[in-house]
Amino acid sequence: MIEDRELDTWREQWSSVAEPPAEFQSKVQRRIKSQDRCFVLGNVLTVIAFVGILLFALYMRHQSSRMGTGWATGLCLLVFVSAAYRVWVLRRTWRPQTQSTRAFVELWHKRVAARIRLLRISIYVSLGWIIVCAALTAANWTVIGQDVRAHPKDWVEVLVACVLMQPVIWYWAAWLRRRKLAELNEVKQILDEMDGKSVLGSIDPVG
Amino acid sequence: MPLRLLLQMRDADAATDRFARQVTIVNESRRALEQQFDRILGEYGAAIARLAFSYEAVASVREELVQEMALAIWQGLAHFRGECSERTFVYRIAHNRGLSHVWKRRPPHQPLQEIEESEQPVDPRPHPEEQAARTDQRVRLMSAVQSLPVTYRQMIVLMLEGLSHAEIAEVMGITENNVAVRLNRARKTLKDALGERP
Repeated sequence: MIEDRELDTWREQWSSVAEPPAEFQSKVQRRIKSQDRCFVLGNVLTVIAFVGILLFALYMRHQSSRMGTGWATGLCLLVFVSAAYRVWVLRRTWRPQTQSTRAFVELWHKRVAARIRLLRISIYVSLGWIIVCAALTAANWTVIGQDVRAHPKDWVEVLVACVLMQPVIWYWAAWLRRRKLAELNEVKQILDEMDGKSVLGSIDPVG
Repeated sequence: MPLRLLLQMRDADAATDRFARQVTIVNESRRALEQQFDRILGEYGAAIARLAFSYEAVASVREELVQEMALAIWQGLAHFRGECSERTFVYRIAHNRGLSHVWKRRPPHQPLQEIEESEQPVDPRPHPEEQAARTDQRVRLMSAVQSLPVTYRQMIVLMLEGLSHAEIAEVMGITENNVAVRLNRARKTLKDALGERP
């Protein structure tokens, strides 16, 4: 057997580098319990919100105007999309912690790329939403127009709020996209390191 | 009493029994899982702390990271079917959590010298000069490991933890040959960082 003194010395030094923090196990147990509680609470709140929104949609459905029907359909769609998204997020494939590092990083890369795509689609959807709202308003103008003429101040306030909200939402989306792109670059860098490309050019000190 | 009602009552009793049995099974498997988790923490607690050290230099953040690694192990334990050894499973999860941490962590970081002064365990050796020299070597090794690129750092840490090439390959998801080649390069880089080569 070949003796590797250098490695033995390093191992000896490494073994005394760190010990588990004090009361480590009990702290972890406490966090598990709190996580379990949060999981139950989160699901209960989701069910309550789900039922509440459905009831609200049903109530809106009984309003005679076309706007009421539009609201109800939109809300139901939103609820089902949110529920489907939640199930998707909770799928085991989205918790890849137990896989090898390479599989984990590859999945991480795919996930960040998917989030960036989702963000881009969200921006298009928000633009589409504005167009749909404008079309719905135009289609119901005979009803809405009377209300606008009766209470112009209320409608101007709503319009101003909507117009001001748009740049805020777009700025937030742009910031999130920049952040996700940076994350994507970082993950690509790790993948490149794993492939043996430009490792020394990407030193990432901890301390 | 009509026969149909009696049959319905019997079915209801059977369903209650089945449910009670299922609850017992779930409780027992949860207890078994908790015992396995406690054993893993006892066995690998120090190794997890060392792994966390390679990803985070700040003590308070590192303590949090150690707990998060343990939590990730707990979450993954229910899905562990023995496809790999328990050791590989623990190191995989801890490293993957460490990698996510590298992305999420925030500056500023505490200099290593401060960490050494504030929290290293006291060396029981009787000669202060020898003790100082050994402490210095350990600090240099820690600092050198932490300065390595993420992939090299991971390989070196796994090697220092005593994992074989096959186990390192299993943790990282690359071939054994690849491990041998890269480990060689990683060792050279570590030596450079330690200043042992011109």
